[in-house]
Amino acid sequence: MNTAIPLRLITAIVDKNISSLVKLADMALHYGLNSMNIITGRVGMLQQRKGLLGFFAPGASLINESADIFMFLVAAGAEEACLGMLTDVCRLKKGGRATVFSEEVEQVRACEACGQVDGACSFSGEKAKTDAELMGICCIVQRGRGDDIARVTLETGTCVPSTFFGIGTGVRDKLGLLRVAISAEKEVIQAIASTYDAEMIMDMMIDAGKLDQPGNGFIYIHPLSRGIVNARVSTEAPRHAASMEQIISAIDELKSGFSWRSRGVAEKGAVGSRPYLSSLVGFMLFCDDGTSNDLVSAAMAAGAAGATINKMKLVHSGGADYRTLSPARELCSMIVGEKQVPVIVEALEKAGAFGDNGHAKILLRKVPKACTYLGK
Amino acid sequence: MAVQQQSSGKIKVSFKQAMGLLVPYVKDRLMAQVKSLWLIVLYLIFFQTIILGIPIAEASAIAAGLALVILGLMFYMEGLFLGIMPLGETIGVKLPQKSKLPVILLFSFILGVGVTMAEPAIGILKAAGSFVTPWDAPLLFLILNKYSSYLVYSVGVGVGCAVMFGMLRFMYNWSLKPFLFIGMAILIPASLYGLFEPNILYLSGVAWDCGAVTTGPVTVPLVLALGIGICRVVGRADSGASGFGVVSLASLFPILTVLILGYANLGSVPKVMEESDFFTAANREKAAALFTSVDDMNGYVLLNTGEATQLALFDNDKQKMLDYCAKVKADPALQTLIFGILPHAMEKWAATRGSAEQRLIVFGSEEKVREAIARYATVAQEPLFIGEILKRNTLAAIQAIMPLVIFLVLVLTLLLREKLPKADEIFLGILVALVGMTFFNIGIELGLAKLGNQAGQMLPSSFQAIPLQNEKKVIAQFDTSLVQNAVTSTGEKAQFFYAKRGEEYSPFPFHRESYDPATGQYVYVPTKGPLFNGMGGMLGILVVLAFAFIMGYGATLAEPALNALGQTVEELTVGTIKKFVIMQTVAVGVGMGLLMGLVKIIWDIPLMYLLVPPYIVVVTLTIFSKEDFTNISWDSGGVTTGPVTVPLVIAMGLGIGNQVGVVEGFGILALASVYPILTMLAVGIFLNRKSAAALKESAIETGKGGAL
Repeated sequence: MNTAIPLRLITAIVDKNISSLVKLADMALHYGLNSMNIITGRVGMLQQRKGLLGFFAPGASLINESADIFMFLVAAGAEEACLGMLTDVCRLKKGGRATVFSEEVEQVRACEACGQVDGACSFSGEKAKTDAELMGICCIVQRGRGDDIARVTLETGTCVPSTFFGIGTGVRDKLGLLRVAISAEKEVIQAIASTYDAEMIMDMMIDAGKLDQPGNGFIYIHPLSRGIVNARVSTEAPRHAASMEQIISAIDELKSGFSWRSRGVAEKGAVGSRPYLSSLVGFMLFCDDGTSNDLVSAAMAAGAAGATINKMKLVHSGGADYRTLSPARELCSMIVGEKQVPVIVEALEKAGAFGDNGHAKILLRKVPKACTYLGK
Repeated sequence: MAVQQQSSGKIKVSFKQAMGLLVPYVKDRLMAQVKSLWLIVLYLIFFQTIILGIPIAEASAIAAGLALVILGLMFYMEGLFLGIMPLGETIGVKLPQKSKLPVILLFSFILGVGVTMAEPAIGILKAAGSFVTPWDAPLLFLILNKYSSYLVYSVGVGVGCAVMFGMLRFMYNWSLKPFLFIGMAILIPASLYGLFEPNILYLSGVAWDCGAVTTGPVTVPLVLALGIGICRVVGRADSGASGFGVVSLASLFPILTVLILGYANLGSVPKVMEESDFFTAANREKAAALFTSVDDMNGYVLLNTGEATQLALFDNDKQKMLDYCAKVKADPALQTLIFGILPHAMEKWAATRGSAEQRLIVFGSEEKVREAIARYATVAQEPLFIGEILKRNTLAAIQAIMPLVIFLVLVLTLLLREKLPKADEIFLGILVALVGMTFFNIGIELGLAKLGNQAGQMLPSSFQAIPLQNEKKVIAQFDTSLVQNAVTSTGEKAQFFYAKRGEEYSPFPFHRESYDPATGQYVYVPTKGPLFNGMGGMLGILVVLAFAFIMGYGATLAEPALNALGQTVEELTVGTIKKFVIMQTVAVGVGMGLLMGLVKIIWDIPLMYLLVPPYIVVVTLTIFSKEDFTNISWDSGGVTTGPVTVPLVIAMGLGIGNQVGVVEGFGILALASVYPILTMLAVGIFLNRKSAAALKESAIETGKGGAL
């Protein structure tokens, strides 16, 4: 069921207060989308320490708010309307409310119920003002260490990162019952940055999380097609007529892009000195709750190194096809080599992933660059 | 994230490598429990030895007990997260997908009744009600004794309904708030009626406590996990951190069902009256209704009352009473019914509490009476039976966990026809939970409860003189000529004598009633306190109140159910509401609640005066709270009073209650569960200030746009 039409995976990370106020899920269904996956996460912001605390420990503390992460798959033609709809419903023009991005993905295989793609979005309002030349940065670390990484993007003023919980699998699952001794809890940090900044920020994140050391995590970048950046990185009241973020976004608009922001090569520091992985594929397996264990084991037997599993909720329009799917879904993300994809898909097929045992769907995203501990 | 691992199948791990993995894993978890328990333990020891100045008795047993508590908590928490909670969540996810509403409701009801039966709180309530006498609180006495099984059933039905409505809430996305408002609107007036009817007044204490104690360390995590599972498949897209609220309902419904039980029996019990009137012929028929049989009533009177009441029961005919004693003496079955199965219980009663004539009947001759009195006068230290303790607690743990787990596994495999995911992990978790609960219960019994008892009994000495019953001494050949006179500042005479204890000579007050001229024995009980006599005795009371606050705070931090709740909240909110914040807030709330509980006991204030105002504040705060925080806050109130707090509270309550002479020690637990709700709601409103501002901003725009 390899789809020929170009697809876009749209991700919207919206503060929970706003998404529940505007009933984003209901609105999306209202505008003709058929299904979406929702993950609960958090978004961070910097807040200057004040008073006594600020005197003894000057600097900014990271405060977190709950956020909903909406993911839906549409045909490339509906991308613009969807982004416009999100901008309108969440009132994104004001800035600092949500991060929205779409990316090119390939749907390799899907079960009958979840294989259909939303072809259109009936929203016909104003077109969204979006940026191109963006790159997503996705980082997976041990639970509890996500804030160190999230701080990097906040302090550079790049964007507001979002964090959500996941469960890691890998070597751990080959240890038998002894596996319980190793914590499987992970945090996934998703940030976006301009193509020009992405690698530098990725490097800063690697430094912050010592991701090139054993057992500390994994980071990769993935190209985006369009996006709206949430640059409200601080809770501070503006001291000037316009905030720094507003000024930056105004210049972005004037220069029509981010290329002016690119810093000199010299500033990038140690870029290039690290061994990076390249030409990888982000393998996203969407499946029913509870089936991920078996499916990930099958994928690992076929060569995948490990997976990060996130719990999601599937919201749909109530069509007959969707009713066979469990509303509790899981997303298993794996980073694999391009050549491994067919083998893993075949292994999943054998494990019954696309039948009743999973109702799975596989999306691929390109991963041009990744970094983790590679061994000696 | 090891990329280099490409092979499939199991990895062989050497013993050394396994230890390398296990040691840090165990160490982390052990340290977590040490951290949660050190405060309360050090505090109790510090308070007893430094402030009250009493050495700790049985220190080695207590130390071993505390070590077991820490080990037990470690195992139990791990068992919860590995086994019991994943099992609950799996069922929660599958149940709405595979079965119809009636089946879900039936399952919920059975589960609710089951968890109550598995964790019977009746023992706790009986302990709190051990002073309750039939004449002071007839209805309470009836429900705690003859109808105690009905009490358990009504609590069970209450929890069953709570779980059922909890699931309905999730399925139809109902708010918790109407349940809370309607619940309070029924419960508060129904309890306030107690101000006009003393029977209801005392009963309402038990009812509100039932709400607090029913939700134990197995119930809460299981019900939470189930709710979270269900919320993952039903309800709205933006329901967010839902899955909470069942525990709140499980605290409210039992109050209602117990009050109903009380009102239903109100007509058949006698009015509250004086002890001496209670058993007179005029009232006897109604009084007998409180007991299972006439012999039960006669036995209660013999065991628990003075001679005047005993005579009242036997129509002021002394011979009739003595004939009855003789009949009991002659009939072993009757003796067991009245005095229990312990050997020589009747002899012990006669020697310590019986009148001269009663003793003569029991022992036969004056000579034997004298011997017996000497034998039973010293309080024997009850020996520890390790084997018996181990057996009893293992059985209790199995009873608390296994029936529920088996029920859940059966539902999953037979009703839902699903296989158990990660079955090995879940079974390991259940096993670990069993071991943990056994250790934990033994540890509580040997360590924490003992430590709490010692501190609790001595606590009143900070504001008044208390007799040290454990140090009761008998002087066999007392010579009254040694008694001397002393004069007080007002010129009254006081008598005292000198005694040699060890190498010290110290004066003791002489009480003529403690001297038995027939046997020549003088029994004296040393007293202690008041230690803090400043400010007209208020200083001592302040010390006690501070003790209660810190004890509540410290004990709450070690509660397993609260730990599970905190962890779950942090997990579901992806760290935006931290476990640390919840634990601290709730602990402060419980501290405040215990403080108010002592206020109730020390000044004997009707519970409702102390319980209704905070509930009114709580209901008001609830109106202004967001739905998620409302759920979490009210749940916190339900989970606070668990196996760590309760024995300590009971020990403290009984210790103080004994000294100041109260009718019943109920209501402390109820108070300890309302204040955490209050503190949590307040913190929630504080935390939501910024979010509220953001909301307002959006709301204005929405209004302008008018597109929605």
